[in-house]
Amino acid sequence: MTLLNAVVREMHGALAVVRLSGEVDLSWSQQVRAAILESLQQHTSVGVELSAVTYIDSSGIAALVEGFQTARGTSRQFSLIAASQPVMAVLQLARLDRVFPLVETLDAAVRAAAAPSGVEVGG
Amino acid sequence: MNGIATAPTRPALDGADARSFAMLAELSEALAVSLDLRQTLLQAVNRIAEAMQAEAASLFLLDPATGLLNCRVCVGPVDLTGLILTPGQGVVGLAVTENSVQIVSDAESDPRVHRGMDAESGFVTRSLLCAPLSTAHGPIGALELINRRDGKPFDATDALVLRLLAAPTALAINNARMARELVEQQRMRREFELARRLQKALLPKRRRDGFPLLAVNVPAHEISGDFYDYFYLPDGRLGFVIGDVSGKGLDAALLMTRAASLLRWAGKDGLSPARWLRRANEELCETTHGGRFVSALVGYYDRQSDSIELAGAGFPPALFWNNGACMEYPSGGPPLGIVADATYTISDIALAGGTLYAFSDGVTDVRIGDGRLGDRGVRALIERHAELAPESRLRAILTELKSMRLVDDTTIMVIERPREHPPEILLRQTFAAEPERMRGMRADLRVALDRAGIAPDLRDRLVLAVDEACCNIIRHAYAGAVGEIGLRLRRRVDVLEFELRDSAPRVDPASVRPRDLDECRAGGLGVNFIDSVMDGWEFGARPGPVGNLLRMHKRCSPALEDET
Repeated sequence: MTLLNAVVREMHGALAVVRLSGEVDLSWSQQVRAAILESLQQHTSVGVELSAVTYIDSSGIAALVEGFQTARGTSRQFSLIAASQPVMAVLQLARLDRVFPLVETLDAAVRAAAAPSGVEVGG
Repeated sequence: MNGIATAPTRPALDGADARSFAMLAELSEALAVSLDLRQTLLQAVNRIAEAMQAEAASLFLLDPATGLLNCRVCVGPVDLTGLILTPGQGVVGLAVTENSVQIVSDAESDPRVHRGMDAESGFVTRSLLCAPLSTAHGPIGALELINRRDGKPFDATDALVLRLLAAPTALAINNARMARELVEQQRMRREFELARRLQKALLPKRRRDGFPLLAVNVPAHEISGDFYDYFYLPDGRLGFVIGDVSGKGLDAALLMTRAASLLRWAGKDGLSPARWLRRANEELCETTHGGRFVSALVGYYDRQSDSIELAGAGFPPALFWNNGACMEYPSGGPPLGIVADATYTISDIALAGGTLYAFSDGVTDVRIGDGRLGDRGVRALIERHAELAPESRLRAILTELKSMRLVDDTTIMVIERPREHPPEILLRQTFAAEPERMRGMRADLRVALDRAGIAPDLRDRLVLAVDEACCNIIRHAYAGAVGEIGLRLRRRVDVLEFELRDSAPRVDPASVRPRDLDECRAGGLGVNFIDSVMDGWEFGARPGPVGNLLRMHKRCSPALEDET
């Protein structure tokens, strides 16, 4: 399956979603980074949707880590939503699978963002 | 249910019935929670004797091995514990053989009563009641009561109550026995597992590429009677042993461990294979009894002269395969451990590009339908896979054998001069050192790895590692400058070698190292990925004024392991 590289920003209730698809690599991971950081400036709950990501390299992981750290520093909620198997494999390799708040579905992330005690970053 | 039914009037339990039921409930409960059956049974028999107002009571259990009845618990003036009765002997024997309650109201005149105890003890038996301890698999013993304290004979009501009380007693004894058997079975399984692991540990570790000998052992059961071994002599010759111990089970396995170490010891002096076998035979004849013996094939491979010297002791013929022709080398003497002064003959084989196969008889015994694979089947099997490299060949032969039915331990040893296999180039390309080129490189690399039969999850990790390496070259070596990257993927036997060349300014190898993963920060993960995916890597300068060279390698053929 070949997916076009894309980053799309959507609102789902209180949750700002950064939806990524394709192969996240050095050629455009700066765009991904910018989209995540911008979302975190504008919204208190940000989720990065990863179900259509077929590949991610360390520069893509770095963009996610930066988003996570920014959120923690500014008391925002930040989560990874529906991470695909290739993404999970790389997160595990980097031993980051237990660092990021991982949410299985977009619905669950939207509910968590609506609830007062949603997914807290930094736990 | 519909309709109105008048509740059937139920007679209230009278005092005796109520006591019996209470007794039954209490007994069942005590037996159900019992952890120490022997103690509980003693209490149970005491309570039964008390409740039924008997002068004495005893519990007999049937020994399934001997068919005899053994008094295990006894209360009363005379201790019968340990008394053994044959089935059919006395009232107890009758209760068990007929699986029915026996009532004796006048012991003196009743022919069923076994006398003898009374005469010795002075105890007078007047009346007897005996109920079998019944289970789904027949009676396992009996409960016997002697003499009502009120002097009256036991009656039908007593018989009914005793039958009632015998039921939970039988159940408890049966459960305890099954639990004990289970524990015993688990213990044996653990011991077999341990024996199997010890045996497996005795087999030598498989050597890597370029080793002239390959062997594999598939035990038919937990533990094997087959074994093999190999070792180098100081003069560079490779000694080898393959053997098969007669019989099955634990004692065969123990003999196997002894025979294996004996043969190794006897071969370490570099004796001729015939004297080597003689020495092991003399030793085994002195210490092996009970009709056990060991068949074995021993010898040396001399890499310098590319020849094999071997001798067999009752072992199936070694097969020498060269250019499609097959030569048999039968054993020149009897198995070890039978005739103390047996002699053995030596065969010399010049390998000249050929292969020697030694099979334990488990291989010829493999079942195909109703028949056996046999010598001819084994030869056909070798011929079918002769073109493959030794390791793949052995794996293919084993796979085919396993698709049939293995009935015995199966061991195969293959010896041939290691061939030099030139490394196979799986991918070679040069591309601009630009992030936009990475996607195409990854796609090509995936295809190449798929063609090489690499499993998808490993493939993806390898692609990630190569991608990270390229990104590092782009970012840190070229650092924005224009340039190219050359990628070469080769396979040498079962090792994948990745080579990346650039023409960028020299990078200090000391600056390329993985970061601490426990620290959560954004950059620098690439080297970690390379480090954890690859078995090893080295980074250095290319010959000439500029350029760096990164070599990474990963071993990735499925290992040919002994089966467990």
